[in-house]
Amino acid sequence: MTNNRRNFCIIAHIDHGKSTLADRILELSGLVGVNGSEQVLDGMELERERGITIKSSPIRIPYRAANGEEYILNLIDTPGHVDFNYEVSRSLRACEGAILLVDATQGVQAQTVANAYRAIDAGLEIIPVINKIDMPAAMIDDCCLQFDDILGIAVDAALTISAKKGTGVPELLEDIITKVPPPQGNQDAPLKSLIFDSQYDPYRGVIMHVRVFSGSIKAGDRIMLKSNGKTYEVEEVGYFGLRLMPCEILAAGEVGYVSAMVRTVADINVGDTIVSPDLPQTEAISGFRRSQPVVFCGLYPTDSNDYVKLRVALEKLQLNDSSIVFEKESSAALGNGFRVGFLGMLHMDITLERLRREYEQELIATLPSVVYKVTTTKGQMLHIDNPSKFPTPQEIEHIEEPMVRAHLMTPTEFVGPCMELAKSKRGIMIAMEHPDQRRTLFTFDFPLAEIIVDFHDRLKSTTKGYASMDYEMAAYHAADLVKVDILINGDPVDALSYVCVRQGAPARGRALIAKLRELIPRQQFRVPLQAAIGGNIVAREDIPAIRKDVLAKCYGGDVTRKRKLLEKQKEGKKRMKMVGSVEVPQEAFFSLLKVDQ
Amino acid sequence: MTTGLYVHLPFCASKCSYCDFYSVPGRLDLVDAYVRALLKEVRQYAGLPFTTLYLGGGTPSLIGPDGLRKLMKGLRRTANVSALQEATLEVNPESASAEFFQAALDNGFGRVSIGVQTMVDTELRSVGRAHTALQGAEAVMRASALGFSSISVDLIAGLPGQNQQSLRRSLDGLLSLHIDHLSLYCLSLEPGTPLADQPPANLPSENKQADMFQMARDMLAAAGFEHYEISNFARSGHQCVHNLNYWRGGDYAGLGASASSHLQGRRYKNLSDLQAYMRRPAAAIESSEELGAGTKAAEEAMLRLRLIQEGLDVGDLAARFGHDRIQCLSDRLSSLARENALIFDGTSYRLHPSRVLTSNPILAAVLEEA
Ligand SMILES: Nc1nc2c(ncn2[C@@H]2O[C@H](COP(=O)(O)OP(=O)(O)OP(=O)(O)O)[C@@H](O)[C@H]2O)c(=O)[nH]1
Ligand code: SF4
Ligand SMILES: [Mg+2]
Repeated sequence: MTNNRRNFCIIAHIDHGKSTLADRILELSGLVGVNGSEQVLDGMELERERGITIKSSPIRIPYRAANGEEYILNLIDTPGHVDFNYEVSRSLRACEGAILLVDATQGVQAQTVANAYRAIDAGLEIIPVINKIDMPAAMIDDCCLQFDDILGIAVDAALTISAKKGTGVPELLEDIITKVPPPQGNQDAPLKSLIFDSQYDPYRGVIMHVRVFSGSIKAGDRIMLKSNGKTYEVEEVGYFGLRLMPCEILAAGEVGYVSAMVRTVADINVGDTIVSPDLPQTEAISGFRRSQPVVFCGLYPTDSNDYVKLRVALEKLQLNDSSIVFEKESSAALGNGFRVGFLGMLHMDITLERLRREYEQELIATLPSVVYKVTTTKGQMLHIDNPSKFPTPQEIEHIEEPMVRAHLMTPTEFVGPCMELAKSKRGIMIAMEHPDQRRTLFTFDFPLAEIIVDFHDRLKSTTKGYASMDYEMAAYHAADLVKVDILINGDPVDALSYVCVRQGAPARGRALIAKLRELIPRQQFRVPLQAAIGGNIVAREDIPAIRKDVLAKCYGGDVTRKRKLLEKQKEGKKRMKMVGSVEVPQEAFFSLLKVDQ
Repeated sequence: MTTGLYVHLPFCASKCSYCDFYSVPGRLDLVDAYVRALLKEVRQYAGLPFTTLYLGGGTPSLIGPDGLRKLMKGLRRTANVSALQEATLEVNPESASAEFFQAALDNGFGRVSIGVQTMVDTELRSVGRAHTALQGAEAVMRASALGFSSISVDLIAGLPGQNQQSLRRSLDGLLSLHIDHLSLYCLSLEPGTPLADQPPANLPSENKQADMFQMARDMLAAAGFEHYEISNFARSGHQCVHNLNYWRGGDYAGLGASASSHLQGRRYKNLSDLQAYMRRPAAAIESSEELGAGTKAAEEAMLRLRLIQEGLDVGDLAARFGHDRIQCLSDRLSSLARENALIFDGTSYRLHPSRVLTSNPILAAVLEEA
C-alpha cells in the first residue's frame, strides 16, 4: 500500500512559484478544473490579497503514473517568507521529498539556500527544479550551475518548468514517483504519529494534522499525547482534499488529520507525538522545536471597554495560529491590553490586519520589541519584552539582546553597499563566500532588533532588489543599550518607550520626536514632546496649540443642529486615543517604526 | 420664567456668499402671504405669555414699515405679547430706513441688531454683502438718533482680505458710534455655500482668525464691553435677554420657515421651504425630537457653558434634574475640570479662559453619553 504513496513538499525562496506549481499539479490530477486558477491553496483572504503563502497547506492528490499505476501524492505547499520558516520546518517532517524550486530569472536566493539545507538536514530527497522558463529573462544554465556551486546539488539535467503555463509539470510528477522514496514504517508496530500542524473547527474543536510514522489511527481508537499524557477518543480521521475528507484509517506513512473533540487548544502542541495509551512508553519523535515568538508588541483596544472583545478575538485567532502568544498587560497611557508575541514583522503585520478585519477590532499597536535579558545589580536575570518594564539605569548590571545569524546573498557588484548597510545595523561579518563568479554569500550576525523593522526594505533598495536574506535565531549577546522614554505634555508615555544603542540614542530620539510632532494633531494648548534617557531630556519639540474652532453664528435657536455638529466632531475623534489630555492618533504608536536613524 | 418668541423672515436683497441661513433673495412679492402664514402658525400659542420677541432673518427690514406693522398688529391680536421684557429686530444696512426704524419703535421694539459685518468696503464686496460700510455706519447713527434703547451690531472676523489692522479700523469706527452690544463671529465655510465651493486665496487662516478675534476681544474689553457669551459682548445691562434664554436651555417658540422651537422638552424645526411652509404653516415640521432628561441636562450644560461668565451652576442643575440623572454628566464635568478645560469655583463650571476659542471639543465632551 504505502509503496504507492509519495509525501513531498514544495520549498523555495519567496515568490519563486510554489503555490502556482501546486495549482498545476492539482489541475493535472483533476482535483480542480483547468481554468487557470490561481494559488488555490492560498485560501486565506490575506494570502490571496498579498499574493503570498502564510500557512502551509497539505493536500492529497490521486495520480495515475506513466507506468499505469495509481499513486497517492501528499503535497504540502509551504510559505517562502522568512517569518514562516517554522512552517517549512514542520512540513518537512511530514515528507520524504522536497521540490526545490528556483525562479530562473532570479537564480538561487538566500532562502533557497536556507530551505535547501533544512530539507537536506531533515534527510529529504531533493528534486531541484527551475521554474518560470517561459520568461525571456530566464537563465537556465546559470541556475544549474548555482545548484551545484551554491548548494552542492549536482544536476546533470535539472527539470525545467513553467508553473504558470504548465510546461514540464507532467515530467516533474513522474520524477517525484521515481525519485522520492515511498514512506517507510510498519503499520503493525506501536502507534507513533507526529502532529505537524493544527486547525480549529468551532464544532469539532482542534483538528490535528498528522503524519503517521508507525502503527495506524482510526475512529474509535484511544490516543495519548506524549507531552502531557492526555488521552482522547478519536472521532474521525481523514485526509486533506480540497476539504477535509474522512477516511477509515490513517496508516503508517500517511498524512492526514485526526479529530478527537479536543476543546482545549493549549493541550495540542504542534511537534507533539501521538502514541497509544496502551503503550505509553513509545518514544517521542525528536528534533521538533516549538516555534518561538521573537517580536513582541502591546495591543490595546481603542475603546477601553473592548478589552474583553479583544481577548476573545486573540483567543480565536490563536486557535488557528498556535505561534501567537499573548498575555495581559496594562499601560498607564493605554489602559488594559495584551503583550503579543509574533514570529517576525510580517507575521505581526498580518496578525494585526486579521484582527482588524476578521474580528472588527479597532486596535492600537505599540512599537515592536525583541526580548532582552537584563541582569540587575542584585544578580537577577529578567526577560523583558516590553521596554517600559526596563529597570532604571542604576539597577542594570548588564543587558543582552537576541542575535540572528543571517545569510545574505547578493550580486558581487553590491558587496560594498551591503557591507555598509550591515555595519549601520551593527552586523558582525562571520563569513564571505563567492559560490560563483557573480555572487557573494555573506554570513552576518545581527541584533534581531536591528533587522526586524526596515532591514529587508533597505537591503532591497540598496541592491536594486537583487539581494536576498534568510536568518535564524542565534544566541544572546551583551550590548550597550538604553531605554528612551517619550514624554507627551510632560508625562512619560509608557507605550512609546523603546530600547536602542546608547550611541545613537539622542539622534534617534530627535527623529522620533519630529515624527510625533507631525502625527499628533494640534491640540487646544501647546504640547511639549520630549525624549529622555534615564531622566535626562535629549530632545524636545513643541506642538503649537490650535488657535480656534468655529465660532460661527448660532442658528437662532437651532440647538439640535449645534448638538449634532458637536456629536459629529466627536465621531472623528474616535480614532484618537487620549493620553493624559492629549489626543494621539492610533498610527502614532506604530508609525514611529518608520523613523530613520 | 422666560419664554421667547422668534419670528423668521427669510427674505434677502441678495444672497451673501458665506450664508447658509434659510433665506431667499428677491421674492418680496411673497411678504404679505408669508406674514399671513406666520399669523396662522402663531395661533397654536394663543395664551402662552411670551417674555421676549426676536425678529430675525434673513433680512427682516426688507418687509418694510407696512409689513412690520401688519405683522405686529396680528401678533398682538393672536399671541400674548403684552408683557415683553425685550423686543429685538434685525436690520440690514441697505434697508435700515428711518421710516422702518420709526415703525419698529412705534411697535415696541427697543432693541435693534444691525448686520454691519465690517467697515471695509472691499471686505463687504468680497462676500457679496448688499451694502456699503457707510450705509452700515449710517444705520447705527440713525438708530441711536431715533432713540433705540439698545443697539447691537454683528461683526465677522476672517473675511477674505481681512487682517488685524482692518478689523481694528472696523472696530474703532463702530466704537466711536453709539453701540451697546456686539456679536463677533468667525467666518466659517459652510458646505454648499459659494464661499466654501470656491474659497478665495486671501481667506485668513484659522490662526489669523483667532488672532483677530483675540485682538477684538481685547479692544472690546478696553471699551467696557463684557464678553458674556462665546461670540457676544455687551455693555452692562445690554445682554440680549432673548438669546440668554437659548443658552440657559429655556423655552421658545419659533415661527416661520426653518425656525426652531423648544417647548416642554420637545425640540422641533420647521421646514426650510417657503412654499411648503405657507401651504401649511402649523404643520410644516421638518424634524422633532423629544429630549430625555439625561440628554436635556447635558444639552443645557453644553449651552450654559457658552455663557463664559455666568457658567453652569451644577447645584441648580441637580435640583431640577435630580442628582442621579446628572451623575455621569457631573463626572464628565469634573474630569474636564481636572484637565483644565473647565474651571470650577465650588458652585459653577466655566470654560477656562484659554479655551474659549477652542470650546467645541470641550462642549462635545460635555454632551457625550455615558
Ligand atoms: N511567468 C511566470 N510567472 C510565474 C511562474 N510561476 C509563478 N509565477 C508568478 O510568480 C508569482 C509568485 O507565485 P506564487 O506561486 O505565489 O509564489 P510562491 O512561491 O508560492 O510565493 P510565497 O508563497 O509568497 O513564497 C505570481 O505572480 C505567479 O503568477 C512561471 O512559471 N512563469
Ligand atoms: S443678509 Fe444675512 S441672511 Fe441674508 S444672505 Fe446675507 S447673511 Fe444670509
Ligand atoms: Mg505561495
